[in-house]
Amino acid sequence: MMRSPLLSFFAFLFAALCVSAVSTTGNRVLAILDDVAEKAIYSKFLGDLEGRGFQLTFETPKSESLALFKLGERVYDHVIFFPTKTKGLGPNLTPNILVQFLNANGNILQTLSSGVSTPNSLVSFLSEVGIELPVDRTGLVVDHFSYDTSSAADSHDVLLLPPPAPIRSDIKNLFSAGAAKDQVLAFPRGVGAVLGSSENLTPILRAPRTAYSYNPKEQSEVVDDLFAAGQQLSLVSAFQALNSARLVLLGSAELLQDKWFDADVTKPDGTTHKTFNREFAKRLSAWAFQELGVLRVNWIEHRLNEVGGSNETNPGIYRIKNDVKYTISLSEYAYDKWSAFSVPKNDVLQLEFSMLSPFHRLPLKFDESHSSPEASAYSVSFKLPDQHGIFNFKVNYKRPLLSNMEEKNTVSVRHMAHDEWPRSFVISGAWPWIAGIGATVTGWIAFCALWMYSAPPADYKKESKKTQ
Amino acid sequence: MSAEPIQALVDVGKGKTTRGVLRVIILALIAGASIASRLFSVIRFESIIHEFDPWFNFRATKYLVANGFYNFWDWFDDRTWHPLGRVTGGTLYPGLMVTSGAIYHALRTLTIPVDIRNVCVLLAPGFSGLTAIAAYLLTNEMTVHNSAGLLAAIFMGIAPGYISRSVAGSYDNEAIAIFLLVFTFYLWIKALKQGSMLWGALCALFYGYMVASWGGYAFITCLLPLHAFVLICMGRYSTRLYVSYTTWYALGTLASMQIPFVGFLPVKTSEHMPALGIFGFLQLLAFLDYVRSAIPSRQFQTFLWLFAGGTFAIGLAGLVVATSAGIIAPWSGRFYSLWDTGYAKIHIPIIASVSEHQPTAWPAFFFDLNMLVYLFPVGVYLCFQKLHDEHVFIIVYAVFGSYFAGVMVRLMLTLTPVVCIAGAIAVSSLLDTYLDARSPKPEEQVAESSEKKAPKSGLKSTDKPLVGIYGLWSKSAVVAAMGVYLLLFVMHCTWVTSNAYSSPSVVLASRMPDGSQHIIDDYREAYQWLRQNTKEDAKVMSWWDYGYQIGGMADRPTLVDNNTWNNTHIATVGKAMSSREEVSYPIMRQHEVDYVLVVFGGLLGYSGDDINKFLWMVRIAEGIWPDEVSERAFFTPRGEYKVDAEATETMKNSLMYKMSYYNFNNLFPPGQAIDRMRQARLPEVGPTLSTMEEAFTSENWIIRIYKVKDLDNLGRDHISAAAFDRGLKKKRAPKKKGPRVLRVD
Repeated sequence: MMRSPLLSFFAFLFAALCVSAVSTTGNRVLAILDDVAEKAIYSKFLGDLEGRGFQLTFETPKSESLALFKLGERVYDHVIFFPTKTKGLGPNLTPNILVQFLNANGNILQTLSSGVSTPNSLVSFLSEVGIELPVDRTGLVVDHFSYDTSSAADSHDVLLLPPPAPIRSDIKNLFSAGAAKDQVLAFPRGVGAVLGSSENLTPILRAPRTAYSYNPKEQSEVVDDLFAAGQQLSLVSAFQALNSARLVLLGSAELLQDKWFDADVTKPDGTTHKTFNREFAKRLSAWAFQELGVLRVNWIEHRLNEVGGSNETNPGIYRIKNDVKYTISLSEYAYDKWSAFSVPKNDVLQLEFSMLSPFHRLPLKFDESHSSPEASAYSVSFKLPDQHGIFNFKVNYKRPLLSNMEEKNTVSVRHMAHDEWPRSFVISGAWPWIAGIGATVTGWIAFCALWMYSAPPADYKKESKKTQ
Repeated sequence: MSAEPIQALVDVGKGKTTRGVLRVIILALIAGASIASRLFSVIRFESIIHEFDPWFNFRATKYLVANGFYNFWDWFDDRTWHPLGRVTGGTLYPGLMVTSGAIYHALRTLTIPVDIRNVCVLLAPGFSGLTAIAAYLLTNEMTVHNSAGLLAAIFMGIAPGYISRSVAGSYDNEAIAIFLLVFTFYLWIKALKQGSMLWGALCALFYGYMVASWGGYAFITCLLPLHAFVLICMGRYSTRLYVSYTTWYALGTLASMQIPFVGFLPVKTSEHMPALGIFGFLQLLAFLDYVRSAIPSRQFQTFLWLFAGGTFAIGLAGLVVATSAGIIAPWSGRFYSLWDTGYAKIHIPIIASVSEHQPTAWPAFFFDLNMLVYLFPVGVYLCFQKLHDEHVFIIVYAVFGSYFAGVMVRLMLTLTPVVCIAGAIAVSSLLDTYLDARSPKPEEQVAESSEKKAPKSGLKSTDKPLVGIYGLWSKSAVVAAMGVYLLLFVMHCTWVTSNAYSSPSVVLASRMPDGSQHIIDDYREAYQWLRQNTKEDAKVMSWWDYGYQIGGMADRPTLVDNNTWNNTHIATVGKAMSSREEVSYPIMRQHEVDYVLVVFGGLLGYSGDDINKFLWMVRIAEGIWPDEVSERAFFTPRGEYKVDAEATETMKNSLMYKMSYYNFNNLFPPGQAIDRMRQARLPEVGPTLSTMEEAFTSENWIIRIYKVKDLDNLGRDHISAAAFDRGLKKKRAPKKKGPRVLRVD
């Protein structure tokens, strides 16, 4: 394997960093609570986080010392917002600062609760990423067909849902894999959100078709102004920015409370089920804090794939119609280790060779010879187009719930040099012309010889004298 | 009388060797003078490459010197025309770079440590000295008087029409091409006079050098056949003409085809067809000549008519078929604009947008040639008097050159040599007549003329009586007047050179109120900023005028440059500049633009800025996308081109307008912002930019550089992202009456 030493050095450095930190981006977590004492009711969830190596810091929005940035650097890697009763979040958590935090690669896990109206700052922050909350900043999702009869017999607001399956067939099952058949997710007193059409948004958990959201403070019998209903109501939503910073909006903070971890719930049909909440909370926070679904490009190499050609790795320039081979090595992170990334079954990893628009779009194939348990290599060999210019080898792999990958390697493709064309005698079509040249040359020499050796006629000298 | 010292002087000059030495000394002095008068710019400013195209030539030369000839030959330049790249080695005239490279290496071999920049800067003055000598040689072929040659040399050396393209730092193809032009003509005349294959081959060699150096070689390609054709029409076909022309054509065409940029053009394009046609015609004439000597004259008449008619018909049919089948390329646009000056304006805005391609204004002739303008016809008239083959050449050249100089400003350059030569012939014949100290004796004249008359009676020109000037006063008056004119001519040339043609245009000079010189160095400031503050492969988008300079001085890849080979790519840049931000941004993303550079003269009153060129961008873009860009939309309803409050919405929303006037208001008290170039009061609220941010503005605001923002991290469009950053709250979408917009995954 001819990877560049620099690349492998960085890969090593990166790996070394990851041993100390549990997440790929860092382990400092800030939890915002109304009252620091409240953390007791989330003790199992927070304990799980600490168990995975995160350092937790607790602050209230009113705290003076609260700051996400210090001297322009992020102070925390991740932020959890538990529901707070204050209307605003103060000058340290304005929407602009939160956007900055995302832009600086920080991750946010935000929870809502129907009893507590969401702070203004968070509402406008969420609307920037394309998530709409119910008007009046509160709402309640109910489902009259699938609720916990033991705890919400009248209000029907503790929803019982199957662990969420992937939304598309070509993405990995992150959240419900390994769940027992009878396990259900309890979603107590939550708020639903409506997602905009942005590609960066993914609904992790959608409300069942029979659920709807209404404002519990309005006392009317009929819901006349429906916020959203059914599958359009997203209970747990994920947002991933272009730089792969993540934001998770969890509609029900109560879901994380100790009492719903491993509780027993009863469906309207009378069956009793164990809740899946603890495992779900673990996976959700792991995704939000970049422990799951994180891709890494270990190295990329492209080289001439021609017999007798140069063996240089990643040359800056090729010639038109060269045969080249492109290989990319990928790893995926899960909790504490990097492992080989395998492309999901219905999905393809593609390479584009493009200048202004793609000239080639080719599927990359698994390349076993360069793969190991920690990294898998994908490669493709192809012939460069018959067009000179500045091209990009581009792998643009952006999938929901996987960190974004856009790799661009620029190369120049030059024209044929003057001495790279086949010689004229190799081209059979040129033979008549070569023969013509030969005939002309011999003819001329023969003529010259004839001219030189033929004596002038006897009366030539006299005649020429006369004319002069 | 004062005849004694004069006589003594004349006697000194009588010896043949003394004269020869004197001539050499004078020529050397002339060469020195022509070099010296081109050094104003180096002394005033510094040793710097001027203007636009020279920067590319300079960059190419550096590449040649650094990488050797073969790499240069096969050079694929991936730092221009991003992302298309340019096959530079195959699309340039390498003569200039190879010349300076050779000089550089020669000096290095002689252990003279010289910087390639200085070689490039001083190449044009150096070659102007050679041009003066070539003009001397060519003129000597015309007259028997050496003085005419020397006068032609000095005229050539200091005529502003030539200096305009050959001051120190003006490192352009013309720098060596004019020398090659004159020298090729000299060799042609030499070959024609002697009917010599050797001179013809030399002529072809220098023609090949000329082809390697300048696209204007077509001038020779058309002029020599025209000369031959005129000679044939005058009934002067001779074996001398046949030998010299065929030698030149065969070898010269082969030589020209060795240049990759020219390639098969000499046998394909219409511009080269006259040369080929005359070549064929000469073969026919030679054949006819032979036939005539072989058969009786009556039969020959019939033969001639049939033969001529048949040849003409076949030739015409062949031309028509080949043109319509596309074997011979149709006439190119630049060529059409030579005949119809309005053609370019209507059909090819990119050609019309270059000021060099505009028709010449009348004052320019006087400005560039001064008194030679009225001496020129006299010289041509004197040529008519003698009318040997070489004089016909001067006449043909004069007619041809005058026409083209009238059509295109740039072609003044090709006219200048013939003007200098004709002018020199006129002046020398005048001076020869009036400077003769001896009074002609009438009886001597009679005797002489009668003596001459007896043997020769055929030619009219030898027939005229010898006239002379008798009065010393009239002699000295005329000579003195001529001397004053010549002095004035020298002064004019020096003044024009120093004031009009010695500005590098990279550096602007202005006068302070107290008369001291103030240098405005915004261009270099901005290019240096780019060089030091941006990534090495940061792509810079600007209008094509600045492409070569960015490549040369800032060393950053550009989208378009002065080698305007791809009209569509230029139109793309024009479209990006003249559209709204929402339209421009995807174009810039697609072309991977990192920075956009605009030239703005509103603060300083600098007229060569982008807003003044803006309509060309619009026109060129409209040529490709007539549905998306419309020139009409940039004019007010009253048909005015305005930048103030009355400017149209399209104008105000165009990227170019926004980039030019962004933050300009902040320099002035509220509502007082004034564009000094266009004398317009700007609207109180300046434009806002959301897809790009200001990166750099030079001292006098001449160059403004903007950085194109990356895609928004949160996936918003830039306008709302910018609004959010300014602290504006996103308005909740008002309740829509229509159906809900549902998300589908």
